[in-house]
Amino acid sequence: MSERGAALKFIWRMAGREIRASWKRLLFFFLCIGIGVGAIVALRSTIQNVNAAMVSEARNILTADVQVDSSREINEATLEIVRRIAASHGVTGQTQTIEAATMLRPADEAREGALMVELKGIESPYPLYGEFKLVNGEGFTHALLENNGVVVAASLLERLSLNVGDEVRIGNSVFQIRGVLAQEPGATGGFRIGPRVFIAREQIAAAGLTGFGSRARNRLLLKVPAAELNALVSDLRAGLKDRLVSVRSYKDSQEGLNEQYTRSENYLSLTGLVILVLGGIGVSNVTRVFIEQKKRTIAVLKCVGASSRQVAGVYLVQVLVLGFAGSLFGIALARAALLFVARRFSETLPANMSYELTTGAIAQGLALGLLISLLFSALPLLRVRRIKPNTLLREDAATASAAATAAGADETWTKRLRRALSPARFDFRRGAVALCVLAGLVALAAWQAGSIRVGAFFIAGLALAAGALQLTAMLVIFFVRRARHVRSFALRHAVNSLYRPGNQTRVVVLAVGLGAFLVIATQSLQRNLVREFDPAARAQLPNMFLIDVQRDQKEGVEELVERATGERPTLVPTVRMRIAAVNGQSIDLDDRERRQQRGMLGREYVVTYRPQLEVNEQIVAGKFWDAAPSAEPEISIEEGMRGLAGLDLGGTITFDITGRRLTARVTSIRRVDWRNSRTGFLVLFRPGTLENAPQMLIAPINGPASDAERGRFQRALVDKYPNISVIDVADIVRAVTRILNNVTLAVSFIGGFVLLSGVLILVGSIAMTKWQRIYEAAVLKTLGAKRKVLLSIMLAEYGLLGLTAGTVGTLAAIALSYALSRFVFEIPWSFTPWLYLIGLAATVLLVATVGALSSFDALTRKPLAVLRAP
Amino acid sequence: MIELYRLRKEVPSGGETLTILHSLDLTIPDGQFVSIVGPSGSGKSTLLGLVAGLDAPTAGEIRIDGETITAMDEDALAALRGRKMGIVFQSFHLIASLTAYENVLVPMEIAGLPDAPARARALLEDVDLTARAHHYPSQLSGGEQQRVSIARAFSNNPSILLADEPTGNLDSQNGRHVFELMLKLNRRHGATLLLITHDHELAALADRRIALRDGRVVSDSATPETDATGGETASGDDGAPQSDEAGDALLQTTAAAARERGLQ
Repeated sequence: MSERGAALKFIWRMAGREIRASWKRLLFFFLCIGIGVGAIVALRSTIQNVNAAMVSEARNILTADVQVDSSREINEATLEIVRRIAASHGVTGQTQTIEAATMLRPADEAREGALMVELKGIESPYPLYGEFKLVNGEGFTHALLENNGVVVAASLLERLSLNVGDEVRIGNSVFQIRGVLAQEPGATGGFRIGPRVFIAREQIAAAGLTGFGSRARNRLLLKVPAAELNALVSDLRAGLKDRLVSVRSYKDSQEGLNEQYTRSENYLSLTGLVILVLGGIGVSNVTRVFIEQKKRTIAVLKCVGASSRQVAGVYLVQVLVLGFAGSLFGIALARAALLFVARRFSETLPANMSYELTTGAIAQGLALGLLISLLFSALPLLRVRRIKPNTLLREDAATASAAATAAGADETWTKRLRRALSPARFDFRRGAVALCVLAGLVALAAWQAGSIRVGAFFIAGLALAAGALQLTAMLVIFFVRRARHVRSFALRHAVNSLYRPGNQTRVVVLAVGLGAFLVIATQSLQRNLVREFDPAARAQLPNMFLIDVQRDQKEGVEELVERATGERPTLVPTVRMRIAAVNGQSIDLDDRERRQQRGMLGREYVVTYRPQLEVNEQIVAGKFWDAAPSAEPEISIEEGMRGLAGLDLGGTITFDITGRRLTARVTSIRRVDWRNSRTGFLVLFRPGTLENAPQMLIAPINGPASDAERGRFQRALVDKYPNISVIDVADIVRAVTRILNNVTLAVSFIGGFVLLSGVLILVGSIAMTKWQRIYEAAVLKTLGAKRKVLLSIMLAEYGLLGLTAGTVGTLAAIALSYALSRFVFEIPWSFTPWLYLIGLAATVLLVATVGALSSFDALTRKPLAVLRAP
Repeated sequence: MIELYRLRKEVPSGGETLTILHSLDLTIPDGQFVSIVGPSGSGKSTLLGLVAGLDAPTAGEIRIDGETITAMDEDALAALRGRKMGIVFQSFHLIASLTAYENVLVPMEIAGLPDAPARARALLEDVDLTARAHHYPSQLSGGEQQRVSIARAFSNNPSILLADEPTGNLDSQNGRHVFELMLKLNRRHGATLLLITHDHELAALADRRIALRDGRVVSDSATPETDATGGETASGDDGAPQSDEAGDALLQTTAAAARERGLQ
């Protein structure tokens, strides 16, 4: 056999024997990698599956190959253009839909309640793609909608206590419920303002619902042979330019979805990477202590002829085998996590979604598991080189070396740093490996984030966070150390234990602290967000909005509201418009430079006019107009619009108001405190211009307090004015709270994973210093300490450790939730001491319990056997 | 042949420099059995460690079969040990995670020797441990562990056997037995034997006795005049070659005694 072959054979065999003997000690290594890989594989697989489901369903979600979308009625001229282009591309199916939110109430006057619903008017052959399913198992036919029939979502029946066959009133018409939806074409499970109701499209006009005005979405759906798709889309885009419609094919949605999901997949994977990096810290710890424990074996191997490289090879193979096995375990964990997702979240996820792991995610998980094992054990493995075979000869003179170690332990960190950095002592190979490890981590993060910049920032951020936690930990430990002089023997001894040579105090504090930090910060942030939506906390803000009030209904609505609430409402005129040009330049939404601002430029603006500023508005540039109306169109824009297509003070916007163009000059820029607004407008006109434009009134009001009274009030209002819609903030708050709870659960789940890694690091570090603990306990026992005393020392030690980690985590959580609330969500932050106290107490309890349980046998061992052991 | 020229070893100790070995010159021909005696701290183990290449001298040179090992790097030294040396330690230093058989096997695997498994089995038979081949060190008595370590030391057919107080951690009966076994095996292998011991009886069995004190040779039976400086080994032994009869007689008595005490 060649020398190389023999060396490799030795490495493999020796690694196998070592794993056989030490697998229990290395179990922790295995778990660290497993949990991190599990998180990454589960997160990636879920997102990839959602993406695949959405993309494969893109055509079904659009219910067409191509969709022409407009926020106003598609007029005959537009239709004519579409028909002409469609004919030239062999379009095989075409249909129109209209969607709008409106009020629905039981037709029976004796029954209470009125509800905002999402009405969709359809006609045969809708849907061109996708499928209707009804709960009774029967198929859907358009005959169900004939002669004033509706098919509704199950939640509508629940909310209004209705049954199939009952009659409901929408607008001025009465409809009969003919079917209940089990599945509707094009549904994605997203946010809805009210239950879905399908009616025949032609009945919308008959019901007097054209008063939706431009709040309705009109869609023209087309089915076309695959070969013609792209040509049709580009011809339609060219032909319908300047008609304020958007043309979209299902392939556009696929691209959009892919982009969106890839981004979220990458960001979520970074969260997984945090867990894996924490696992890596655990791995590094285990490897370091493991090599330390294997010092003798390594020296013996060198004595009998093994080179440093061969010995390092033996341990490297062990690391890789464990990393691989850990990754496999992680994949099994991910599978379990996906089963959990399927049980817990399947309602909010696409119906046709798969809950299998994806091959890509598995491959990435395996690769990451191996790489993290390698990167984090590289530095500890280098110590193999430094272990000299002569340690075996010196073992008998152990006392001398112990004294040297003790002297080293007392050395200040500045001294140690200076010594490590002195040119004579600096280990260049170690430095080079450290640099490679750092570069490797940045590369991993960049790979996971899909961007070098994000990857570098991520690692820098992680290092910064770890540094901040470390600093806090050092400070807290510094203060804990003051307790060395307390009277309690147990406490004094516990404090000393935190400083015993080879202690893992800082690593544990960092790891457990990080987990506690994530869980507490998430909870705290959720509470702040939920409070923001809490109607009670928003008492002074409107909790109901009446919309689509017509001018001639103003008096009647005011009286009705006053009767119900005791307060006369302020009705605000609104005009809907779109931006056609900025500073005289017409807006091309397909222009590359404009893509970023597409949302702001392409949206519909609801504007108002008034002579004064509201209390929550403040001028930041320019001068607000005086009370006198002016025929010269003048506007004040919200500061967020500054820079939009080069817009600034003195610039102009040309608006399109149902086909008419109006150019207005920006004379002031406002800051709006959206949180305290009864209504908020991006664009405000000076009185004198819009009074004669087609407009609707809206009324922000404080509705009756009880749910029953709110229902009765809505019912009375809609009975009298069927065109008016009521947005009940309480309903929205409910929906948002539900979403928020799901998000919190998901984030807490990840935080829990991190905390688990932290606890594992704790268990691992206890296992590593176990012998010392057992020995100390034996010595104390011979000196007369009872088991009760030993137990209290132990509990005090881990209690202190938990207190330190909990304090660090809580402080960091307070800082993060404060920063996120104030600067990201821009909501007021409130200090919730009980939450932090619970978090702190839970951390102390967790660490003390885990710690005491994992070192329990220090109490039970007989001292003589321990003291006699070599 | 082992040659030491002006070998010096110093170690830092509490800010000062401690000299463990003062300029030492020594030549040990092939096949010689040399015992080194001296009180604790006299530099015996240091000397052995330097010869084994386990440590580097502060000054001077060591040559093994004409090769200067003081110029070699760690890995070359490891390879040299794997090729030419067997070492027996006072604390046995078996690898705790390996069985007796595997402990004997490892050096041969490192060196890539053919027939390693068969050889390992034969060596365990030589030390009378076939029945315990698959036991871990923690399951063996001290004497058994030292016998495994002796089998391991001979596994690569070393030309030099270095033994550092091989019986120091054993009771006298057991120690004798182990020692006899080592001598017997060494007679078969014909290796140069460098034995460090406190036991004058064992030292007396050597071809040549060297006494160290404070890092200096105070007597060497090969150069009797050094005895005058007050060596503690001046027992009157003439440094006769290793005697088969004497060894065998000792072996028989110690084995019988060991059996009597139920240590076997």
